[in-house]
Amino acid sequence: MPIVLQNIFRFILLVLAQVLVLNNVQFLGFINPYIYILFILSLPVLTPRWLSLILAFALGITVDAFSNTMGMHAFAAVLIAFLRNGTVKLFIALDEGNNPTPSFYTFGVSAYVKYIVVLVFIHHATLFFLEAFTLTNFWFTLSKIILSSVVTILLILGIQSLKTK
Amino acid sequence: MFFRVFTENFCSEKHSFLRAVSFIMKNLINFLIQYSVVFLFLFLEVISFTMIVKNQEYQKSVFLSSSNSMVSGMYEWSNSVVEFFKLRVANDNLSEENTSLKNQIINLQNKLSTLQKETHDSVHFKIPPEMEYQFIAAKVINCTTNKLQNYITLNKGADDGIKIDMGVISDEGVVGIVKTVSACFAVVIPVLNPKLEVSCKFKRNNYTGGLLWNGIDYRYANMTDIARHVELALGDTLITSGLTPAFPEGIPVGNIEDFKIKESDAYYKIKVKLAVNFRTLSHVKVINYLNYKEQKDLEKSSEEQ
Repeated sequence: MPIVLQNIFRFILLVLAQVLVLNNVQFLGFINPYIYILFILSLPVLTPRWLSLILAFALGITVDAFSNTMGMHAFAAVLIAFLRNGTVKLFIALDEGNNPTPSFYTFGVSAYVKYIVVLVFIHHATLFFLEAFTLTNFWFTLSKIILSSVVTILLILGIQSLKTK
Repeated sequence: MFFRVFTENFCSEKHSFLRAVSFIMKNLINFLIQYSVVFLFLFLEVISFTMIVKNQEYQKSVFLSSSNSMVSGMYEWSNSVVEFFKLRVANDNLSEENTSLKNQIINLQNKLSTLQKETHDSVHFKIPPEMEYQFIAAKVINCTTNKLQNYITLNKGADDGIKIDMGVISDEGVVGIVKTVSACFAVVIPVLNPKLEVSCKFKRNNYTGGLLWNGIDYRYANMTDIARHVELALGDTLITSGLTPAFPEGIPVGNIEDFKIKESDAYYKIKVKLAVNFRTLSHVKVINYLNYKEQKDLEKSSEEQ
């Protein structure tokens, strides 16, 4: 039960931090970090896949409602929720009967960093290309994606390193 | 005898057919269960994608956007905190506007007194119909500047008389046009959204063109449709042209920051520094053009004839 409560709390906290603070943040004019996806990235590894998809959709739609983007965040969030299991299997071998919550302690530093980098990059790439909806400003969009991903990754790793076991 | 054989044959055929059907069904159900997650994934992605594409629809945008009451309630709360830190600048702007208004009053009084002396018996004084405006003051409770398609939410809505397509200005200049309205809130498409093109002109020589945001920097926009024979200078002031009924003539839009023209081009590439700073926007006025309906109806009926 506490893990459910913990996740509900995390959901609310991350959405508030995203819409009230980070949506107003603008490093260098166009870098906009999206840390709300930390919720999806921190779901226990063996969460039923249908549940994580539905939670990701709910999360995305909530952020969409606050930022007038209508479906973009939902699309990107559902995509990374779908790709998450494969990514976890790619980087670590899970023990039988073990259901860890992803973090530095359970995954190990290098595996966790790789896991975060891959999924954050996929999320940002989807989101920014959906937002632009064109390939004309490809390099500009790509630079936005890379810079925003770097800021998001640093924020997420920072938050996670504050956590004690 | 023959009949019996026939029915038996038929029954067994029917049986095998049913068996085949149940076999297929079982496989189908197994298949569906096995790939249920993939189907759910595709289903959710299709929903989100349809929402992105149908973004324009009115009801949806009221339901799931920041004019939704819960969302905007929260924004209003967060804004009341942030606004406190902006009071000083807002006060400065207000006092500046106050003085300029007072100056205008004095000017107008002077003109009126001279007019009254000269023409008290002959001219029936009347405001021109295209100048009959009222302003509705509103406060910005949500504003983005870093997206490709930015929106602004105001704390006034249909109850305060705001309707779709009304123009929105601030003390500094043009802000945007109202897109959707709920009872207490309104969402504005600002100049910082490629969906909006504001018609504006040079104060100096009255050449008109469209102002379009380039999606990169919230301080600058581009101006189109200025042919190469027009004389330009850096710093020329741009004002609204009055050709769109949302804005009266003469509201500041910005200044020319930079302009380029290639040998082969027929039109200038003009970079405009916007008059409004969208990062500090807090108080705006919505323009209620009293003769909007009459003008639109007339224009429509003449198009139909």
